[in-house]
Amino acid sequence: MLAVHDAVVKLGGVEILHGAHLAAAPGRLVAVVGPNGAGKSTLVRAAAGIQKLESGTVRWDGVDVAALRGRKLAKLRAFVPQRARVPDGVRVHEAVAIGRAPHLGPLSRPTRADHDAVERAMGRAGVLAFADRRLNTLSGGELQRVQVAVALAQEAPALLADEPTSALDLGATSTMARLLRGLADDGLTVVLVVHDLALAAAVADEVVVVSHGRTVAAGPPDTVLTESLLAEVWQVDASLAGGALHVDWLGRTPGRTPTKEPLA
Amino acid sequence: MSAVAAPTARTATAPARRRAALRQTAVVAIAAVVLLVAAALSLTLGAVHVPLHDVIDALTGRAEDGPLREIVVSLRVPRMVEAIVVGAALGVAGVLLQGALGNPLASPDIVGVTGGASFGAILVLLAFPSAVALLPVGALVFGVLAGAIVLMIAWSGANAGATSRLILAGIAVAALFNAGTTSLMVAFSDRVQSAVLWMAGGLSSDGWSDMEVAWPYFVVGFLGAVVLARPLDRLALGDDVAESLGAHPKRIRLAAVIAATLLASAAAALVGLLSFLGLVIPHLVRLAGGTASHRFVMGASALVGAALLLVGDTLARVVLAPIELPVGPFMVVLGVPVFLWLLRGAH
Repeated sequence: MLAVHDAVVKLGGVEILHGAHLAAAPGRLVAVVGPNGAGKSTLVRAAAGIQKLESGTVRWDGVDVAALRGRKLAKLRAFVPQRARVPDGVRVHEAVAIGRAPHLGPLSRPTRADHDAVERAMGRAGVLAFADRRLNTLSGGELQRVQVAVALAQEAPALLADEPTSALDLGATSTMARLLRGLADDGLTVVLVVHDLALAAAVADEVVVVSHGRTVAAGPPDTVLTESLLAEVWQVDASLAGGALHVDWLGRTPGRTPTKEPLA
Repeated sequence: MSAVAAPTARTATAPARRRAALRQTAVVAIAAVVLLVAAALSLTLGAVHVPLHDVIDALTGRAEDGPLREIVVSLRVPRMVEAIVVGAALGVAGVLLQGALGNPLASPDIVGVTGGASFGAILVLLAFPSAVALLPVGALVFGVLAGAIVLMIAWSGANAGATSRLILAGIAVAALFNAGTTSLMVAFSDRVQSAVLWMAGGLSSDGWSDMEVAWPYFVVGFLGAVVLARPLDRLALGDDVAESLGAHPKRIRLAAVIAATLLASAAAALVGLLSFLGLVIPHLVRLAGGTASHRFVMGASALVGAALLLVGDTLARVVLAPIELPVGPFMVVLGVPVFLWLLRGAH
């Protein structure tokens, strides 16, 4: 159970978050949505304990994240960054094995149980087929699944991911969406930063809408992502219906309020 | 379902793991054999040939006192040990820096250590030639000083500990010390001859005196490297992943740069400028071993570094004996074609 309450974060003297909330429970997939620069990534990084708070609280199962440093925190949650480094010469199974770090002592060798956990993580993320390839030979979609496999090897009950689909094509996005939804169905707490509102509405149990560093709405996608909220937060004429996002891209659809008075 | 799936999954990467382990064992075995052969040759060959059985007698204390025993025990053994320790130190320093900075081009040059050490050495050689015994001290002190300045700059202000900050600070500090070195060479241009030989890099047959100054730095540096091997693996996928795993990327980076500074400064104190080794050995080991895991790369780089420097030094002494070639350029001329050939076949 994750609870972020009234989070305030400053980056380089600028306040990025001023009062953001986020809650996530096991078996639920929460999508954090909002315009560019709203503070979505910062909120999820704060929830993961990677970004320090100016004030407010982040609690994992009721324990303050500040009291959960290092390997303890790593056993509670895994974080998948937006763009991880792709080092030369590292093979997929070696990269995924790095995810076992929180379970290893400083000088101990990986045990059979660690190898098995790595295999399970690779199997679950669908990367076994290219386990022996080098990271720098993979496609964007494959690489993103490897990143998820690294996080799964941590065997934490929660997974937070910063825009896991933003650089992927349609097919790879769909594969990733099914994987993440499946992980939530398996009982994991899953929190994602998502740009694509149609995708968020399709996969998430709850959406958390962040705007100007604040959480402005949270709840099931169909009740939260209303036309008026989309207009207010994203400044667009758009609606969600039947899993599709209908956008009046140029403000010309009859019956919708144009953003500008048409020329006479 | 999972009971059926588990064994299939386990067999999927186990053969690959075994193949990788075999290949890594082969790399270590070959390096170890080369090291042993080079050690035997370095003790027997030279201006005076000492047969192997006499070497063994001298080492086991069965030989009578005499010039042969003296050559082996007082001149060649210290030189062999220096080559092994310095080669290992340069290899490990390269691994530490490349791992900590996530940059395949990192070497002791990049954190200012080489620039500082050469300034310290040239300062003693040119400005205080009568105190030439202090040369290793000068190189060590100024090498560590340069590293410390770079770390202080890199770990201050916003974005403290970021890789780009560290590299830029290193380049700036190196430029400063290099300017100092050049100024010294201009000011004392009549004595530059002695500096040139030091800058070329090479070992000397002067017993244990240098090692007596430098050994604590080697010990701390090597111990640091052992402890840092696994933490550096956690940095491999970037700082965010490292933090996800509960590691502290900036602390790991700081510790690795300190350990590398100690090793590279101590190495420069003993042999002058051989930092090319520090750049190349980790790549050589990764290419040959087919893995970038630091637990393998760290240990194998120590072994390969020791073997390469010992082979290079022995060849440099023997090829045109009794003239000794400078080891630095000699090793670069030998090493670059091999390295480029490996690079051609790399993925």
